[in-house]
Formats: sequence, structure tokens, C-alpha cells
Amino acid sequence: VKEQVTEDMLNEVVNIYLTETETITHLDMPGISVSVDADDAEAIKERNNRYAELCKNRMGNDKYMDRSMQAFIGASKSKQVQCDSIVMVDTACEATTWDMYDSFYGAEQDKTELTAEPEKSGYSESIVNSSRGPEKTTSLLSTTSIGNTTLEDDAADPRLILQSEKFQKVLLVMERCILANIFQPKLAAYRQLPIVEGKQWLSPHRSIKHNVVTPETMEHREEDVERSLSPTLESLWVFSCELTKGRTISCMAWNKKNPDLLAVGYGEFDFRDQTPGLVCCWSLKNPTWPERVYHCNTGVTSLDFSAKHPYRLAVGMTDGTIAIYYVYSQDKTCAVSSSKCSKKHYSSTWQVKWAEQDMGLSGDDKEEALMSISADGRISKWFLHDDLDCVELMRLKRMQEEKDEMETEVKDKKKKGEILRSLNAGFCFDFHPVDSSIYLAGSIDGTIYKCSSSNSQQFLETYSQHFGPVTRIKWCPFNPNVFLSCSLDWTIKLWIQDQLTPLLCLTSTQKQVHDIMWSPKWATVFGAINEGQMKIWNLDYSTLDPVIVHMAAPGVKMTSLLFALQTDCVLVGDNSGQVTVYQIKNFTVGEGTGTVPVV
Amino acid sequence: MASEVEETLKRIEGQRGVVGTVVCNADGIPIRSSLDGVATAQYARLLRKLTVMAKSAVRDIDPQNDLTFLRLRSQKCEIMVGLENEFLVIVIQNLHQ
Repeated sequence: VKEQVTEDMLNEVVNIYLTETETITHLDMPGISVSVDADDAEAIKERNNRYAELCKNRMGNDKYMDRSMQAFIGASKSKQVQCDSIVMVDTACEATTWDMYDSFYGAEQDKTELTAEPEKSGYSESIVNSSRGPEKTTSLLSTTSIGNTTLEDDAADPRLILQSEKFQKVLLVMERCILANIFQPKLAAYRQLPIVEGKQWLSPHRSIKHNVVTPETMEHREEDVERSLSPTLESLWVFSCELTKGRTISCMAWNKKNPDLLAVGYGEFDFRDQTPGLVCCWSLKNPTWPERVYHCNTGVTSLDFSAKHPYRLAVGMTDGTIAIYYVYSQDKTCAVSSSKCSKKHYSSTWQVKWAEQDMGLSGDDKEEALMSISADGRISKWFLHDDLDCVELMRLKRMQEEKDEMETEVKDKKKKGEILRSLNAGFCFDFHPVDSSIYLAGSIDGTIYKCSSSNSQQFLETYSQHFGPVTRIKWCPFNPNVFLSCSLDWTIKLWIQDQLTPLLCLTSTQKQVHDIMWSPKWATVFGAINEGQMKIWNLDYSTLDPVIVHMAAPGVKMTSLLFALQTDCVLVGDNSGQVTVYQIKNFTVGEGTGTVPVV
Repeated sequence: MASEVEETLKRIEGQRGVVGTVVCNADGIPIRSSLDGVATAQYARLLRKLTVMAKSAVRDIDPQNDLTFLRLRSQKCEIMVGLENEFLVIVIQNLHQ
């Protein structure tokens, strides 16, 4: 019985194998030549000769006759066959060092993440990838070998990218790069690097046009250089942005650890002007926008960075509050504030400073504490535990009152209520560079008190030679016996520690002196700010006139001064919200040891 | 966060000499750009190729290292590319007035 041939059987693929048997062979090609060395070679040769002779004799021989035959020729038919087109694919492979590294270490890391699904998706993606072209082959191979989840991240939401922290960081670096391009010559001058001569790059000042330097202008420049050998200030750049326009700069401070970081406090001197204050932390790498901006409730009067914890910035304000900001975080609020403390200042805090103080009895324990002086006449020492808490170091009593007190103490000891009223408002103070338990405090009636932090009842010394409020006192960093004071009575006085009259009294113009600072580099040099001028004095050179006088732009009053610590630059803040960085040029100082000759 | 990023981008775009900025994702598809469509596509495409090669070069030398920033300075301008795994930030700045 024949098997039923079904549709399926017909469609089945049947394999047919052809093999050789003993009688049937696949290929049979008999050779047509015989080797000369073969056994029957002679016989074959003879046969060949006989056949050749036969062919020769065939012509005109009667033995042979031509005869024709007819054969059937089958009808031919052409047949066509079709098959699938043969697809050719190019594959290439690149084995780079990092590819291999990723495969080994990436696979180890992703072992925990691998599940069945991502593998499948990886495979299907790789098929799609192969059609994109040779560019993708390296990624193709890495995905098939690892089968990890990175492909899914590719399709990340664009908005997520724009909001990520990494994006913010990249933008920060980018902005600094762009600004480095713009400010390159100025920053190079600041850091005392050689400036590349030649084509002028972008200038930050829109009004100045820079041309390509030709030989003629080069000669001109050389002449100019020869002429201006007198010490001058060259303006490098200005720290200013929209936020700070129109605000008065009250104080500036460098960060103790990062010399590129500058904190600037903005607050009005006038009590009537109650605009909220601002603190901006500027980086040298970005003069167009501050790194940190802190808005304060009231005007800022003073700033200081801590030396032990360089991220702590202490800010004193016009309502007496002291706030400490932690600069490392992006947090815009202050970390600690003294507003809840019961012993806080109730009048403007004019100066804050971090200083090392002996804590233990042995004298070896040095801890850093925050000191502040305020218009309510008290100098306080603040401790930072969870919240700010303070201890009173000193009260600034007026000289007259002290004498009266001593008389009245004998008579009546109950008159304590008067002390609060008659305190002398404190304006500024400075700690001795060597022995930090001694400090000088300046007050509103022109008296300078020398005090010790171990004695909170009596002053060590009182110097009363100023006629107006003392605005700044600074110890000389090179000579521990000398200090400078400046006041609104137009004078700057140089004192020696134990002498009650000043050694030198310097006046150059009849304007109030707001700020002074010793140069950190030269022992006999200091800078001072009058209202419209910035002066640099060199006591070695002349005690009558300042060496450099720099006028402010019309209508602008300078308010604050800061020397740069490692370079020859000085920063000046004014009342239009701008901090200008000047480079001191052509300034030579003789070899002075810093000891002022005693007159 | 988003507003700060926006502000920073706006500041960058407003800096002296900056011609334009392009932000694209890891595949080179522009997400955000201040240039016109043709220029954006061109910069994104060309710089993506270049950054892939540069990244490969850096990692070939030391596989634990990675490329973070690429600056291309030419006669007329400077092209700066900030790189991360997920995105690319391209800024073009003209160097002369």
C-alpha cells in the first residue's frame, strides 16, 4: 500500500545524499597522457606512430571511403531558476585598551544588575544598531558582550540632563574657561605671569579698541614705558554684577585657605538707609558673577574668614546680629545666627574677627573664637556649639566715667545702672599678631584702648590722641610694637606700643580716612582710603606725602581697601558696588627692616 | 536648580565673544541650542565624532582616566566642549574683535 503523500510531506525539506559505491563513482576523468617512465610506454608510442601513419595514408587511399550518417537531435528547451539574493555584510572589529578594560571591569560591576529582560533588549538593540553603519560597531560589540543597562540610559529625558548636578558643574567649568579667554592678560598680570605680546585678544572693556600691534606701535609703547617709571596703579579688572550695582562696599576679606576666594560685604554706612545687605563670595576665576550670594536682613558691616575652618565666614551686621555662613555648600541661608542669643549686640556690630585664644590654663590649648566689637560698647567672644553664645570680654568705658566711677565706688557701690548708658561705642579692633591675647580697640570718641583678654575690667593702656571716631586700627605685621590708626579726623597716626603719643601723624588731604591696611609684602608700606582717593604711603621714602595717589572716578567714593596677599595688587571697593583690582607698578622699596627709627 | 542652570547658561551665552552654545545628549542629538538648526546639527555631528575619538585616545592610554573637557583653538575662534557620560556642552567663542 502506497503511503499517502500529504501537503506537509511535500513541503518538507528532504535531504538527498550522494555517495560513491564500488561500481559508481562521482567523478571519472581518465588521464590522456602517460609518463615516459611507465611500463607500457613503448607499446603506446608504437601505437601512436601506427595511428599517425594511418592518418597520413588515408588521403587518396582506396581502403577508406567517406560515408555520411544522420542522427536525431532532441528539441532544446531553456529553463530558468530563481534564488534569494545573496546578502554581503562587512563587519569590522576594533579592540581598544579601554574596550577590554570596560568589558572586564564593567561586567564585574554589572553582575548584580543583570536580569533576563535587559539582556533581551540589549540584543534587539544591537540588531538595530548594525544597520546604522560602521560607526556603531564598537558600541555594538561592547553591548553584546556585556548586555548591561547603559543602553537604557541613552534615552534619558533631556530635562533630566539639564537639571543634573553634573550639568551644573560642566557649565561652571565652561564659564570659567570662557572668562579665562576674555580676561587672560589681566589675570596673567595679577598672577605675575608673562603676558603674551602680539595680537590683542578679547578685551573686557568695551570702550577700548585694540589693534594689531605693528612695529610703529611697538616703538611707541617702549617710549611710554620709559616715561612712566613713577609708581602707578594700573586697573586690571572689576568685580561687579547687576546684584551689586549701587551698593556700598563695607568690607572685604580673603579666604585663609583658598587665595582666589574673596568675600565682599555690601552695606550702607548711613543709619538712615535700611536697605538689606548682601554678601558675595567672588572667585578670581570669574569676575562677572559671584560664586555665592547671601542676602542679609540688614546691611553688612564686617566679614572675616576663619583660619581653622576655612569654610566658615563670619558676618557682622548693622542690627548687631552676627551670622556664620558655611561657604562650601550651595545653601543660601546662614548656618548659625546670633539673633536668638540673649547677650547679643543691640547696636551695629562694626567688626568681627576670628582669633586664636588660649583656652586652657596651661597656655598650650589654642582654640579659635570669634570676637566682635559693636556700637553698644561691648567686645564679645563668641562660641560656636549648636548655636552662637557669647561671653563678654570687655566694656568700653569712657575715660571720664572711669575716673568718676573710682570716686563713686568708694561712696556708693550700687550705681551700676549708669554703666550701660555711658559706654563708648566701639568701631574697630585688631589682635596682636604675636600675642593674640592683647588687642587694641578704637572707639567713637577717638580713644584707643589696649586690652588683654585675660583682664575684662581694666585697660592696659589708653591712647587718646584722635579727635574723631577711629575707623581702623592695624598692627604692623613685620614689627610687633608698631600699629597704625586712622580716623575721621583726617589723620593717620603711627604709634609705638608703650608710648602714649603717636610717633607720626600723617595727613595729606582734608578728608576722612575710612580704611588703612599694611602691605603684606613691604614693611614700611601701607595703603589708606580717603573719600575720593586711594593713597599708598612708603614711610621709608617720605613721611610727608604718599607715594601713589589714585583718584576715584567722579561721583564715586572709595570705601574699602584690601591688599592681595601674594601679588602686588590692591583691591578697592567703592560706593557704586564695584571692587576694582589694581596692580602696583614701578614700585621699588629699599631694603628696610621695618623698624621705624625712634625720634 | 533648574533656574540656576538657566541663569548660568544665559550668562555664558551673553559673555563677550560667545557665538553660540549647543547642548546635546550622548547620541549627538541637540537638546538645546542658541544657533540656527543647520549650524547646530553641523556642530553637534562633527564634534560628537571628534569627542568620541578623543575619549578613545585618552582611555586607550589609561583606561581608568576619562575625558572631561576639550578645547579647540583656531585662528578665528575657540570651540570648547564639556563632556560627561550623558551629555555634551559645546560653546563657540570668537577670539578677536
